[in-house]
Amino acid sequence: MSGVNLSGIVKAYGAVQVVHGIDLDIAEKEFVVLVGPSGCGKSTTLRMIAGLEEITAGDLTIGDRRMNRVAPKDRDVAMVFQNYALYPHLNVADNMAFGLRIRKMPKAEIKTTISEVAEILGLTEYLDRRPADLSGGQRQRVAMGRAIVRHPKVFLFDEPLSNLDAKLRTQMRAEIKRLHNRLGVTSVYVTHDQVEAMTLADRIVVMNNGSIEQIGTPMELFNNPANTFVAGFLGSPPMNQLKGTLTESGAKVGETEIKLNGSVATQAGRDVIVGIRPEHVTLTAGEKTTALPISLDLVEPLGSEALLHGHFGKDSLVFKTETGGDINHLSGVGEVHVNASLVKLFDAETGHALSLGA
Amino acid sequence: MADEHTTAGGPPVQEPLIETPSSEGRLTRFYDHIRREWQIYLMLLPTIIWFLVFLYKPMYGLQIAFKDYSIFRGVAGSPWVGFEHFETLFSNDQFLRAIGNTIKISALNLIFGFPAPIILALMFNEVLHASYKRTAQTIVYLPHFISSVIIAGIVITAFSPTAGIVNTVMGWFGLDPVYFLTQPQWFRPIFVGTGIWQEAGFGSIVFLAAIAGVNPSLYESAVVDGANRWQMMWKITIPSILPTILIMLIIRIGNVMEVSFELVILLYQPATYETADVVNTWIYRQGLQSGQYDLAAAGGLFNAFVAFVLVMTANTLSRRFSRTSLW
Amino acid sequence: MMKWNLYSRGDKFFAIVVSILIGMFTVATLYPFIYIAAVSFSSGFAAQAGRVVLTPIEATWEAYGYILTDPQFWISYRNTFIYTIGGTIMSMLFIIPGAYALSRPQLKGRRFFNLFIAFTMWFNAGLIPFFLNMRDLGLLDSMFGIILAFAVNAFNIILLRNFFEAIPQSFEEAARMDGANDFQVLWKVFVPLSKPAIATITLFCIVSRWNGFFWAMVLLQSEEKIPLQVFLRHTIANLSDDDEFAIVQTAAGFSAETVTAAIIVCSIIPVLIVYPFIQKYFEKGILLGGVKE
Repeated sequence: MSGVNLSGIVKAYGAVQVVHGIDLDIAEKEFVVLVGPSGCGKSTTLRMIAGLEEITAGDLTIGDRRMNRVAPKDRDVAMVFQNYALYPHLNVADNMAFGLRIRKMPKAEIKTTISEVAEILGLTEYLDRRPADLSGGQRQRVAMGRAIVRHPKVFLFDEPLSNLDAKLRTQMRAEIKRLHNRLGVTSVYVTHDQVEAMTLADRIVVMNNGSIEQIGTPMELFNNPANTFVAGFLGSPPMNQLKGTLTESGAKVGETEIKLNGSVATQAGRDVIVGIRPEHVTLTAGEKTTALPISLDLVEPLGSEALLHGHFGKDSLVFKTETGGDINHLSGVGEVHVNASLVKLFDAETGHALSLGA
Repeated sequence: MADEHTTAGGPPVQEPLIETPSSEGRLTRFYDHIRREWQIYLMLLPTIIWFLVFLYKPMYGLQIAFKDYSIFRGVAGSPWVGFEHFETLFSNDQFLRAIGNTIKISALNLIFGFPAPIILALMFNEVLHASYKRTAQTIVYLPHFISSVIIAGIVITAFSPTAGIVNTVMGWFGLDPVYFLTQPQWFRPIFVGTGIWQEAGFGSIVFLAAIAGVNPSLYESAVVDGANRWQMMWKITIPSILPTILIMLIIRIGNVMEVSFELVILLYQPATYETADVVNTWIYRQGLQSGQYDLAAAGGLFNAFVAFVLVMTANTLSRRFSRTSLW
Repeated sequence: MMKWNLYSRGDKFFAIVVSILIGMFTVATLYPFIYIAAVSFSSGFAAQAGRVVLTPIEATWEAYGYILTDPQFWISYRNTFIYTIGGTIMSMLFIIPGAYALSRPQLKGRRFFNLFIAFTMWFNAGLIPFFLNMRDLGLLDSMFGIILAFAVNAFNIILLRNFFEAIPQSFEEAARMDGANDFQVLWKVFVPLSKPAIATITLFCIVSRWNGFFWAMVLLQSEEKIPLQVFLRHTIANLSDDDEFAIVQTAAGFSAETVTAAIIVCSIIPVLIVYPFIQKYFEKGILLGGVKE
């Protein structure tokens, strides 16, 4: 029993409320990622779980125990900090042993634990080194090792990869995932990077302005974003959003009427936002596609794919397409074809997703 | 939730979303806080007690400045006399002379002592040879760490009328020996000069740090523009460290009443009192040597009050200039 | 020295002139020490006649012999060590935990406590009330009194507090999650991380204790308790107007000047020994004081 439950969690600094009553149930062994722009309250939420911030209101339980007033050290959680917080005056082994010594674990046991964990993390040959003599990735691993040696019920990660360069980040991401598969410890992971969220999470919690926007598996969130915020946050590049109006048979955007899958006739005249993922268009017309005329500004080759930056009316749009090894033919693109079944609709006022009647 | 709020005793919650303060009452929260954080209060306690006993209790004792203090009755038991001591003070020629001397010595310190470390720092900045610079710095910082007794011993030896090096050198030029330390007109130059010798080097550290903080690309672009080192010093270095100079100047002005009286005590003698006696040395003689505690305490209170006003003014000024206060 | 090749002739000239001026100032700083050392090794006659300029004249150990056989010299030397070591340890016992507590955001009344301490930098009761307070506390002529009464000052606490405040919060948080209490956080994390600052403050304490003179002179009466600086002062004061001494010494080969110089040398030597080790710290340390609210 090592799930984490947040119920009506509020954080306020004086009169300023930064987390507005969060409900979240994290199952045992689950890997949950809190993602959102900076200042959305994700780190504060994590720190409340850790016990580093007082919970203003609401209930936090870990396992079966209410933790609101329990000291961090007694919550049986371990945290990996953004800056790692490795003690520069201690070597790798001592850094990892720090918590165990304070908890008065017998020396022999500490030694075996450290060497086991060092083995898992590939740190065995670095145990005598000081943090200053390690690379960024190694430091990151030590920070995780320090958390792992304690065998906590819950791992907390506070943007652990944001100090690494892009290549290492990809590599460490996979490593964290593998570790989680191996250790199976409940994990809460905070990041502002949606790619990290997508790749690591069993479930993603998208936060914005101190509230949860949507909770779901990565693919749920990608395929069915609950609102324009989630739609715009997940996916790279993000979903194109165009203002439009529903008609009897589709959605009218500028002069173009985009075909939709399903019937919208009953809602004709409603103002909507039409969401089109960059990768959900083709360059050739197909069944149930609509041609969307664009004026192409720029072609960015990425290799096997290319990004097409263009305008539709005043709106800037980005689309992704296969290159087939050559981008010359892309410079003449004047329209893209939108697949009706992949178009998303959101209410223009609230931003909430609209479901299309069958 | 609602029932918990009634126990909190706070005002009723208006906005349902904003649930502050929390579920627990204020007392419980305070108890919680102490239970969790008692250690830091324990750590602070000795320091607080120390300040109370050794610095704040004497402030309470300052009331003897308004009392006819007798050792036997103690601070609290001695009768009040109002401003009698202050009237005595301001009709006391020696005290007034001491105030004058304090200001004059401080003014000389400001005029000659203040620019010295700045000039030294600017010069160090131009020295290219790293180890030469390092060695010179090491040596000029050293006198700061030497006690005033030794400094005074060196001065007394060096300025001695028969044996001292100063008179020896004067002798080479056919000048008659001078007994510097017994002649009032020589006290201030010797005192201020000694101060520069002792502190200019160490004082340059602050300015060197300020110089080190100047963005190197300013110099690089100046080089590209064809400026020479002399121009760069005036156009880049000095303007860049001007805030530091101003702050240090303000600190100096704030400390006008603080002449290092330890060194005065060690160097002056009755023959030079007329130029050398400062407020603190007067207090020392009146109070600790002659036992007129109340009158001396009144002099000290006056001194502390003036110093306090000066320091506060200085801090306000520096806040205006630098947007950061001195403390 | 890469830069040198890029300098114009004017700049080279400027740099050379400045280097020479610096050299002169450095020599001027150093000379008094050399002079004193030379006097201390010269004969009494040579010193009295003002013949010593740079090197010992009629070199002799007599002045040192006179000083080093004076038991009072050794007593006060020992006392200075006691005051320096005891006083520095006492300072650390107050300053380190105090600064840590003041640096913690969770300390209630933190602003008040900081003001409570900083206020003593701006306002000071002065010599007389301090002296009377020491008398009332029964700390006159007490070695422990000297050690305790000068253990703390606002500047050092604020300096260390500033340093502690600059330590990223995650270090404390990580230690706390690892189960450390405040004493463990302080001792196992903050103190090792603050070595430069603590070294600086230790240095300030050591120097001020080693050099401490005025209050030792005022508060201590017993000869067996006085520190070196007070002994030095007494000796200098006595020698310079002691006619009997003048007669005795002529035969012995030393003079008031050479004896004074010898004591000065003896009391500077420990400073010179420690100085190179501490130098790297105080340059940084003095800036840490870089005083802010």
